[in-house]
Amino acid sequence: MAVGLALAFMAPVQAAESYQLGLSLAITGPTSDAGNPYSKGVEDYMRLVNETGILGDAKVDCPIRDDMYETAVTKRNFEDFLDQGMVLFLSYATGANLALANDFTEVEIPVIPASFHKGIADASNYIFLPIASYSHQYVGLGEFVAKNHKGGGVPKVAAFIHPSAFGRAPLEDFKTAVAAGLKLEIVEVVEHGKDLDNSALLKRLASKGVQYVLCQTIQSPVVTLINDSQRLGMTAKSFGEEGKLTFLGAHYTGGNDLIALAGSAAEGFYWTTSYRLTSEKGPWTDWQLELAKKYGRDDKTANSHNYTNGIMAAQVAVETIRRTREAGKEINSASLFETLNQMNGDKSYEPLTTVGPVNYSDTDRMGVDTLQLYVVKNGVFRAEGEPFKPEFLK
Amino acid sequence: MSYFFQLVVSGMVVGSIYALSALGFVLIYKSSRVLNIAHGQIIAAGAFIVYALTVWAGVHIIPSFLASMVITFFLSMSVERVFLRRLIGEPIISVIMVTIGLMSILDGLIYLTPFGSVNYSFPEFLPTTPISLGGVSISWTQLVGVIITAILIGAFSWFFKRSTIGVSMRAVSDDQLASMSVGISVPKVFGLAWAMAGLSAAAAGGIIGNITGLNFETLRAFGITVFPVVILGGLDSIIGAVVAGIIMGLIQQFAAGYLDGNWGLNGTADVLPYIILLVILLFKPHGLFGTHEIERV
Repeated sequence: MAVGLALAFMAPVQAAESYQLGLSLAITGPTSDAGNPYSKGVEDYMRLVNETGILGDAKVDCPIRDDMYETAVTKRNFEDFLDQGMVLFLSYATGANLALANDFTEVEIPVIPASFHKGIADASNYIFLPIASYSHQYVGLGEFVAKNHKGGGVPKVAAFIHPSAFGRAPLEDFKTAVAAGLKLEIVEVVEHGKDLDNSALLKRLASKGVQYVLCQTIQSPVVTLINDSQRLGMTAKSFGEEGKLTFLGAHYTGGNDLIALAGSAAEGFYWTTSYRLTSEKGPWTDWQLELAKKYGRDDKTANSHNYTNGIMAAQVAVETIRRTREAGKEINSASLFETLNQMNGDKSYEPLTTVGPVNYSDTDRMGVDTLQLYVVKNGVFRAEGEPFKPEFLK
Repeated sequence: MSYFFQLVVSGMVVGSIYALSALGFVLIYKSSRVLNIAHGQIIAAGAFIVYALTVWAGVHIIPSFLASMVITFFLSMSVERVFLRRLIGEPIISVIMVTIGLMSILDGLIYLTPFGSVNYSFPEFLPTTPISLGGVSISWTQLVGVIITAILIGAFSWFFKRSTIGVSMRAVSDDQLASMSVGISVPKVFGLAWAMAGLSAAAAGGIIGNITGLNFETLRAFGITVFPVVILGGLDSIIGAVVAGIIMGLIQQFAAGYLDGNWGLNGTADVLPYIILLVILLFKPHGLFGTHEIERV
């Protein structure tokens, strides 16, 4: 028996494998209203993976650090994670991804960001956008306008954008799509400030015959814009109503927060994203609400599209690890990069959090190509039509 | 023509909210010569208190609004007592550095609450149909905001001109040593100035929050947004804050209405106030209504 015990203690302990990831994002500071539920989505899904054995006996360790939307802090977090042996990085803001793109390339680590700026994937081949880029979202909205425009002539649109790289991200592609035949006239590009009253802007746009306002920004500026439009009686009661303004927006302009902030002024706001929403009941949304309940999240978090956003990024990361393990390969940055590049065709990934499958390849850095249009009806975002892919931007 | 008048009305509305937001800076500076960098955080705190009382505690929004002003009155007084009282007589730069530190502390405290990263909005309590006259429209929220601003600014102006305490505060502002020699308690005056600034900040927060929704980043940014107003009006002038606020509001609206989007211009509504500020300061370095102190050595 003594010999047995001695052997037991001497035998190498086969510890369960643990794979190191890392998430750096704005839990406080600017855009933390999006970052906070996003972080909870990642956290909850990683807990689920470890508790239910989605990776068998292996575990995932994904520390989450607040970078306060400051690139310098993101860089420090990234380097700390690297020191801990991180094999895949979950990043956040457009600016930080642009700034760290060379670092990602240099250390050859795959990155899944929360930003959907096409330019960050161009800046580093190691950045894998989870869903359709801002450019695709914006051009998709433009195509919807062109197809459904009421009244004669070419529809006149104004771009209402955030004064940053994030806001300007889709403009060039949008202009290229118009030049390539997308039947729209871009009357004006407005980089908004912190306006308390948009009367002048709205009246000016109306005087130029603008009928559609396409927003690429965060929720707060859109809230004051649509509130003022409602006050001035300028909001279209139905899509494209002549002489009125119809508002549309990309991923970070919409969601339940927009409705919470704008109230009745949000009615008729058109919004596109690649994510499914809990306002559209189905097996997936039930699963998301169960997950949120399991980990004690409040209703606001459970129903946030940015919670879904975080879950989906975590799903892609975990699925990449699972497939790499299944192929019998060692888990490291290089093998995960290879697996991500093979995630296409019959190997595409259906996370169900999105309206289409995730596809990556050596030349494709955009996960979900499809978009869903939603519109606010009776205080809730409802799906409008079927998922689509923009035709003017491949 | 209605376009022009709409811009005038919008500019007046925005300007009056700027004035109310700027009032807190002026009240503190007028009495203690301190520039409170954490003013935006107090504006945000005021708005959040209104929401918490209204939605979470179920109190009607009007008493909640009044209660938030009382709470921030005492909160700001406490801040002055704990952090700033012991700095009386120290170099002004030390005091300003403390208010920068205070800004970080308040940020941290608010981030510990749900308000730090979750958006909320006040329940609708005013009619949503705007008031329209001759093609010019103003929402009830804006109108109520203007009325509250007018009442508060009128009350503070009366207070400083007519009340004994107000006159004491002006005396302290002019000469602390001379004030103490006639029996005025300088520390109490400083505490009261902070308290009144807190009260005005809560009012501003409640009004801005009703317009923009309750987003911490948006609300606290107003502490910086109104800075040109404070400088233009003169750091120690209440009437200056009002005039400068309305000037800034009108400039922004006219720039947005007539310049932006024309001749390749964009963003002039954000830039023009600063350009005009610089031009005016070239000729009036103490602002439009600021006290021009002459020091004889």
